[in-house]
Amino acid sequence: MKDINNDSRKPNVFKTYQDLFFKSLFFVSALISSLMIIIIIIFIAQKGISPFLSSYEYGQQNIISFLTGMVWRQDQAIYGVAFIIINTLISGFASLLIAFPISVLTALFVVKIAPKPIGYFIESAIEILASIPSVVYGVFAVGFIVPLIQTLANIFKVQTAGGSSLLAVILLLSIMILPTITSISITAIKAVDIDLEKASYALGASKTQTNFKIVLNSAKSGIFAGAILGLGRAFGEATAVSMVAGNKMFGPTFNLFDITRTMTSTMLAGLKETTGLDYDIRFSVGLVLMGVILISNLLINFVKNNIGKNHA
Amino acid sequence: MENSFSINNLNLFYGDKQALKNISMDISRYEVTAFIGPSGCGKSTLLRCLNRMNDLIPNVRIEGDIVFDQENINKDKIDVVQLRTRVGMVFQKPNPFPMSIYENVVYGLRCQNIKDKNVLNKVCENSLRKAALWDEVKDRLNDNAYGLSGGQQQRLCIARAIAMEPEVILMDEPTSALDPIATAKIEELIQELKKDYTIIIVTHSMHQAARISDKTAFFLMGEVIEMGETRNLFHVPKDKRTEDYITGRFG
Amino acid sequence: MRKFNIKDLILDGITYLFSSVSLILLVIIFIFIFQKGFSSLNLELFTSPYWSENYYASIPASNNTYLLKSTLDSNEYYSEKFGIALKDDFNARNEAIVVISYVHPDSPFNELTNSTSGANEGQIITAQEGMIVNKISYINSNGVTRSAGPVIKQMAEDTINTIEKSDQLDSVFLQTQGGGIFGSLIATIMLILISLLISLPIGIMTAIYLNEYAKYNRFTPWIRSSIELLTGVPSIVFGLMGVLVLFPITSVFGASGTSILLGGLTLSIILLPVIIRTTEESLKVVPDSFREASHSLGANHSQTIFKIIIPAALPGILTATILSIGRIIGESAALIYTMGTYISDKPELLKGATSLAVQIWSIMNGDQPNFGLASAISIIILVMVLVMNIGVKVLTRSKVKKW
Repeated sequence: MKDINNDSRKPNVFKTYQDLFFKSLFFVSALISSLMIIIIIIFIAQKGISPFLSSYEYGQQNIISFLTGMVWRQDQAIYGVAFIIINTLISGFASLLIAFPISVLTALFVVKIAPKPIGYFIESAIEILASIPSVVYGVFAVGFIVPLIQTLANIFKVQTAGGSSLLAVILLLSIMILPTITSISITAIKAVDIDLEKASYALGASKTQTNFKIVLNSAKSGIFAGAILGLGRAFGEATAVSMVAGNKMFGPTFNLFDITRTMTSTMLAGLKETTGLDYDIRFSVGLVLMGVILISNLLINFVKNNIGKNHA
Repeated sequence: MENSFSINNLNLFYGDKQALKNISMDISRYEVTAFIGPSGCGKSTLLRCLNRMNDLIPNVRIEGDIVFDQENINKDKIDVVQLRTRVGMVFQKPNPFPMSIYENVVYGLRCQNIKDKNVLNKVCENSLRKAALWDEVKDRLNDNAYGLSGGQQQRLCIARAIAMEPEVILMDEPTSALDPIATAKIEELIQELKKDYTIIIVTHSMHQAARISDKTAFFLMGEVIEMGETRNLFHVPKDKRTEDYITGRFG
Repeated sequence: MRKFNIKDLILDGITYLFSSVSLILLVIIFIFIFQKGFSSLNLELFTSPYWSENYYASIPASNNTYLLKSTLDSNEYYSEKFGIALKDDFNARNEAIVVISYVHPDSPFNELTNSTSGANEGQIITAQEGMIVNKISYINSNGVTRSAGPVIKQMAEDTINTIEKSDQLDSVFLQTQGGGIFGSLIATIMLILISLLISLPIGIMTAIYLNEYAKYNRFTPWIRSSIELLTGVPSIVFGLMGVLVLFPITSVFGASGTSILLGGLTLSIILLPVIIRTTEESLKVVPDSFREASHSLGANHSQTIFKIIIPAALPGILTATILSIGRIIGESAALIYTMGTYISDKPELLKGATSLAVQIWSIMNGDQPNFGLASAISIIILVMVLVMNIGVKVLTRSKVKKW
């Protein structure tokens, strides 16, 4: 007892330093974590722009022809990314178009309509789908979707390169972003205030009317956030897409059964035997990819904010 | 004057727990009937029986009759959705939808597939007038309802319910979340509304009941202890328990 | 007035229809992968190397007969003179091969001498079941060395008959079948260790800072936003970043080009947001009363954190770890850039290698994609991922019960 009384009167210098040390340590960790995104942007921007500067070691490339070119040929060192951007946009938005309604209605079903065990069952299925790695989706796409499209092409008497096609990419991406949008929508729908539903029922609305007019409406903001994330995934998906895209040398591809080329498939194509400009230009494509994702995010946000405004 | 509701031997169970015991009462039309009593005594539960809102709660079992317009609404054959267009409800916490004021008021009509703009506009104005809100919002019908004050939001919810032209308006502690001025406005509104609608109000404030109601029912532990003209119940209560509650010995 | 709302019915129907899509998809995907991969799945997959090894070995002289101790199938052909059984089979490319199906324990085939010039010359090799036989050289009655086996278009039966006629064998050309995942398995484990070693401490410490020190700080929302932004970055971009930013770090350690170390470093950054978010959630659940009690007993901030808060947040940290491992196993695009696509049977920290996922990519990208093997590895990955999902679910459920 006596010792404790004596010690507690002296200020504990060690403890103070110990606190300071750890606080700094934790702070530095947080600093590192938060700086990561900036580092990524800066470095990729720098490397991505470098081929277009006069100091580039393999000869300065023309940035205009890069950004507007419709041809991409590794062998002839022609690099035009415009049609690739269009292809990426087409495949991304098309897959969003397919996946969005399915995801949102599935989320509504799980939270509001299905009996608890079935809802839990489907929610688990979504979680499992979400954790399947993209390579495995790629294997599935090559082995199942692609032959399916070949069969479809035979029925419609259309040309296709064994099934690798824009349609394959779109179907693949729809499947892959489905779990993302669904799980975010489930969270958004679960957060809707139950009082609003009660008010709707008390006014004589049916269950379906309440679900669609009130629940989905109130969860709008969360659901759109899910759509944005899903679209970003669709744009950024690399491994699986590169296995079924086909990598066309020019474009853009509008024919569903024709092969296509996305930014990510370009970045992965022929990575094994590549050097110099061909390697570096992939960073430029990566930069463009990030730009596209950013702009599309802003666009959807803009749309979301303006949908709610006009109502009468 | 005929009765709006006739309740006979109503019993309600949440699982094994009995929340309403042998309730029998008649509710007169074009009057304000108040349900008073300590918390958890079943007043809101009974209120919710009158528009079948207890259907939304799992594990509820109801026995007994509630007769509304010569039909027993506890029989399954009843179109519950339609019942709710005739028996409206206003909740304790104002709950306008995240839409414009206009859209809130006409929501119920749209659910009934009424699309004619002229009809909707007219009903909107009438309902907002009846709810004593028109003058305050007539220039901003397209603004989001969340921009209104608490008291205004509650009046909006009343307007929304009135737009359905119900015969009865159920009010579950409509002013307990509001300040005294807003409360006074709504109490004034209720006096006006009873000219056209039957009003049943659950209130935890017996002073409010004394102020605004014509008939009062005192609830205790799921039973109706006493029901009668408000003046009589408050000045010459027949049951000792009623007297204890009113004089503040408990509750 | 009973209304028949057609609109409602249509909406309901579509909702039910769409909701079954995810279930149907899951079933189709699993059935497909299992169907294609199951036959290629066997225990040897885990222990064999990917690349087939060739052995050219001399067979010691022998003078015994080796009687069969067990019965063989009708498609196996046995040589009593030399104690070896061969059978016909197909390789992954569906080409016909001849495979050793049984080696007698006393057979001279157990003590072959490696004659391939190089490091392993002179070593004793044991012929094993599953090895492919390309050629067996024998000395015929005239003392001339001749060949038997697939090299002269002989299948198992003819090969055995031919060598039975001879008294002495000379040499054998063997091939291991390969197609195993041992190398990638090791590489994946190394990857997990490196990335967790780096990201767990940094992530946990960041979460502690955000939740315990700077909760109401002006800058905290900015820090949180910048971490959240990372989740929106595609993994291939992380690969690019790894090559640019982290490669100099690995070259300090002696790496030149893609390496497991580079892959691990890159992955650790990808994992940061997940670890931070999950850890923060478990930190938030710790009741403030714990912190107050600790402080009132004279502990300073860091002592409270290490003695009370981190132990209480352990289930959450464990969850973060499991989630991370799942993410590592599934990652491919970033690793293709930072770790390379060459399947290595002896992975080294500073050299390129493939994780299980990247091995699938490599296989599928070759001239003749080996679907069976790719699907078999997919099954392994799927099972691992499923187990981890269940693990996380069990953890979160038991965590909730605690307080």
